[in-house]
Amino acid sequence: MSTQPTGAPAHSAGAPASVELRGITKRYGSIVACDDVSLSVSRGEIHGLLGQNGAGKSTLVKILIGLAQRDAGEILLDGRSVEIPDPLAASTLGIAMVHQHFSLVNELSVWENVTLGEVGRPDAQRTRELVRSIGARYGLDVDPDARVEDLSTGERQRVEIIKCLRRDPSLLILDEPTSVLTLAESRELFTVLRRVAQDEGKTVILISHKLDEILTATDHVTIMRSGRVVAQRVTAETDERELAREMVGRELSKWVAASALGDLDALVDPSLSSDPAMLAPVEPIHEDEFPFRLRITDAYASRDGRPLLQGLSLDLRAGEILGLAGVEGNGQQALGDLLSSLIELDSGTVEMDDVVLPTGKPGAMHRAGIGVIPEDRHQSGCVLDMSVAENLVMSTVGSVARRGFVSRKAIRANAERLIEQFEISTPSPDTPMRQLSGGNQQKVVLARELSLNPKVLVAAYPTRGLDVGAIEYMTERLHDAANSGIAVLLISTELEEILTLSHHIAVIHRGAIVGQMRRVDVDAERLGLMMGGQEA
Amino acid sequence: MTITSTPPTPANTRAVAQTSRWSQVLTTLLLYVVSISVALLIAGLLVSLTGASPWEAVQAIFQGSLSDAAALGLSLDKAAPLLIVAVGTCIATSAGLFSIGQEGQVVIGATVGAMVAIYLHGPGPLILVVTLMGAALGGAAWAAVAALLYYWRGVPVVISTLLLVYIAYQVVFYAVTQPWLLQESGQNVASPQSDIIRNDAWLPRIGEYPGLNFSSLVVIAVLLAVGARIVLNRTTWGFRLRMLGLNPKAARRAGVSAVLLGSLALMISGAFAGFLGGALLTGGSHRLQPGISENVGWDGLLVALVARNNPILAIPVAFFFGVLRAGGGFLASTGVPRYIVDVVTAILVLAIVFPPAYQYLRREIRARRLARALATGGAA
Ligand SMILES: Nc1ncnc2c1ncn2[C@@H]1O[C@H](COP(=O)(O)OP(=O)(O)O)[C@@H](O)[C@H]1O
Ligand SMILES: [Mg+2]
Repeated sequence: MSTQPTGAPAHSAGAPASVELRGITKRYGSIVACDDVSLSVSRGEIHGLLGQNGAGKSTLVKILIGLAQRDAGEILLDGRSVEIPDPLAASTLGIAMVHQHFSLVNELSVWENVTLGEVGRPDAQRTRELVRSIGARYGLDVDPDARVEDLSTGERQRVEIIKCLRRDPSLLILDEPTSVLTLAESRELFTVLRRVAQDEGKTVILISHKLDEILTATDHVTIMRSGRVVAQRVTAETDERELAREMVGRELSKWVAASALGDLDALVDPSLSSDPAMLAPVEPIHEDEFPFRLRITDAYASRDGRPLLQGLSLDLRAGEILGLAGVEGNGQQALGDLLSSLIELDSGTVEMDDVVLPTGKPGAMHRAGIGVIPEDRHQSGCVLDMSVAENLVMSTVGSVARRGFVSRKAIRANAERLIEQFEISTPSPDTPMRQLSGGNQQKVVLARELSLNPKVLVAAYPTRGLDVGAIEYMTERLHDAANSGIAVLLISTELEEILTLSHHIAVIHRGAIVGQMRRVDVDAERLGLMMGGQEA
Repeated sequence: MTITSTPPTPANTRAVAQTSRWSQVLTTLLLYVVSISVALLIAGLLVSLTGASPWEAVQAIFQGSLSDAAALGLSLDKAAPLLIVAVGTCIATSAGLFSIGQEGQVVIGATVGAMVAIYLHGPGPLILVVTLMGAALGGAAWAAVAALLYYWRGVPVVISTLLLVYIAYQVVFYAVTQPWLLQESGQNVASPQSDIIRNDAWLPRIGEYPGLNFSSLVVIAVLLAVGARIVLNRTTWGFRLRMLGLNPKAARRAGVSAVLLGSLALMISGAFAGFLGGALLTGGSHRLQPGISENVGWDGLLVALVARNNPILAIPVAFFFGVLRAGGGFLASTGVPRYIVDVVTAILVLAIVFPPAYQYLRREIRARRLARALATGGAA
């Protein structure tokens, strides 16, 4: 069945592909993670693997590095059929992979981390030299003596890549490498990959669910959906719309197109885009019609003597989405924690409809009508070891109980209603939360918070780590929430997301709001200055 | 190749799921069989070393625990205390708190109970009830010290509860050696024990010797186990408690106060143990002695461990331990040293706890080896 797909890389006649997969199939129980996947990548090429969460991308490359075994199909390296029983074998065959989650030891220095896992006594001087020379060769600048915990995420990833490259692999695989990087860091990474492929003649497979990355960084792209290859293209001959359509299986709506495609310039100035209407800013709301809901005044908070919030003031109107932009680590988390009753204020107030709320008192904010979609949904948004149904009533278990006894019927009915209403894909309401995909876990959190009819909804990085389909879903729901009169506070580092959704934009810097503007008045330069901490 | 994925047929799915489930169950079962066989083998060897015959030892244990109605009653009597400690442990563990100080709470409960029973005047049944309540409160208060240390100063519950056991031993010893407090009155040779409590305040027994007879504590213990299960799994309180145990941060977001709920869970666990101390006093020795707990606080922890914090599962497990305790006493009377029974019990516990621990470790080790392979292969 492995028909050579159209758009597959053209090889110079005779030269076998660097990597070729033929009819790879992998099942997990009843799930077919990879279904008859064929693709081929030639030497010196960056090959993109695009697909939504759960499309089977990770599974496919796990088979390549020996972390999973295929059920059917064939792997050929340079035309030779190979078996890859474990990661060690993959390493011997010259296959290396940069994982999404780093495997670095924070307490050790960079060079020590690079020698980690090696037999024999590490040679400090030689390793330092090695780190420097690889750095120079590929543009991976990092100080070999720095401690990993002092490094930024981007720098840590460089260390990971150096660890891979020092073995001089012929195939380098990166699984969603940019999900932890800033925009600038991503661009640097792509430059490095270019060198790896073009100058060093290595083969690169780059996994992503971000379209703009695929478009800027790859030569060819294979698009997967539900375990199958649905399209293969020469990157230069395709565009965002086509990729998005293939990946999701349908046209995307206005809400997601811009943020998923990551086209910031066009968002700020829609006339730059081929479809200006699609990127037009949200109509401003009539401010005098909508009352202030939530008002934070001069909030100061600290932990262990470290200041978290330093005089933050913020007003939130009903029916409005206020986008909170800013570089990560400037108090966003503290603000989210404050509105989840996780931290107490040293001074300042939080008012809801002119009533002052107690801070730091478990459940107080919740009872006052503040729903929160936390940024770390695994750690604090849900209980992974409880069922979907239980997670859907976490804060309102009283409403499905009579005289202190939980009604299983009521829990189930509530779950079935929300599962349908929010299109949560789960085998059953009793399925443990752990078994759901990231997008569906996020839907559960959203469904729970919205089912409480909150007055205010705080959404912290609501689309982080989600695929286009799920981003589209979340974005639409947030927009609907505001339309239904909820005051939405959208915390995000993705400017595209903020520009797409917000009526108002505030910028946070060092625990305080340094400026605010209406979405229609946005000026990219001013926004940038404020994010850097300048009052503009 | 079509683009929409065809869902696998239900029958197919079920077949696949079932084969893997069955093979999993089989592996687990096999692991238990092997591990318990090895334990029995070692136990047999140990018994032979003392010069006795293992087969005779087994017979002695059976005779002492299950051979007739009286023996069965004894097993039940031995099992009930373990069950009560285990159920209390399940409650604390559900909240994510690893309290191991039940032994001390039992002792403190018995001490408080003795004070109530000896110094309070009134009708017997009332004294019994107040004694048991006082004992429960004593155990709860002892646990509250650990809760306070944890939520106020961050002292780990495992450590504080353990240390409190040894303080409790000192307290009870002090109480029964002070004539003005609880020491036996009117004796020439002062022994470290209290007076016998009035016999109308004794915990009643069910049935008559030589027929099946056992303490009413057996009934209470089973009711407590069933009750705990219902409370943990069916009530909003139990729901919040499990939420707190599984994810404290999410629980807090949902309005659960860890300090209040966690302290309460710890104190309820202490109250179970304390209540048991009162029951051992009014239903067993009838006087306070330093050794009144007979280590039920420790063995009860093992019951909870083997029962994996499931109060209902704890019922048969506690019964099994009760059989070993009852049979062990009889075995000792045949000349085999008593400590051998304890060693054999310990080996059996290890054998039962081993399979899940082994499976867990194997997963961990596999993951580690993989991680190491990844590191060696330059993250490949
Ligand atoms: N170890 C596993 N056990 C069971 N199912 C798995 C496992 N790994 C992946 N899957 C399933 O296979 C499908 C593809 O997953 P994955 O390859 O991780 O997708 P992607 O990387 O494209 O997000 C998903 O439905 C996922 O739930
Ligand atoms: Mg993946």
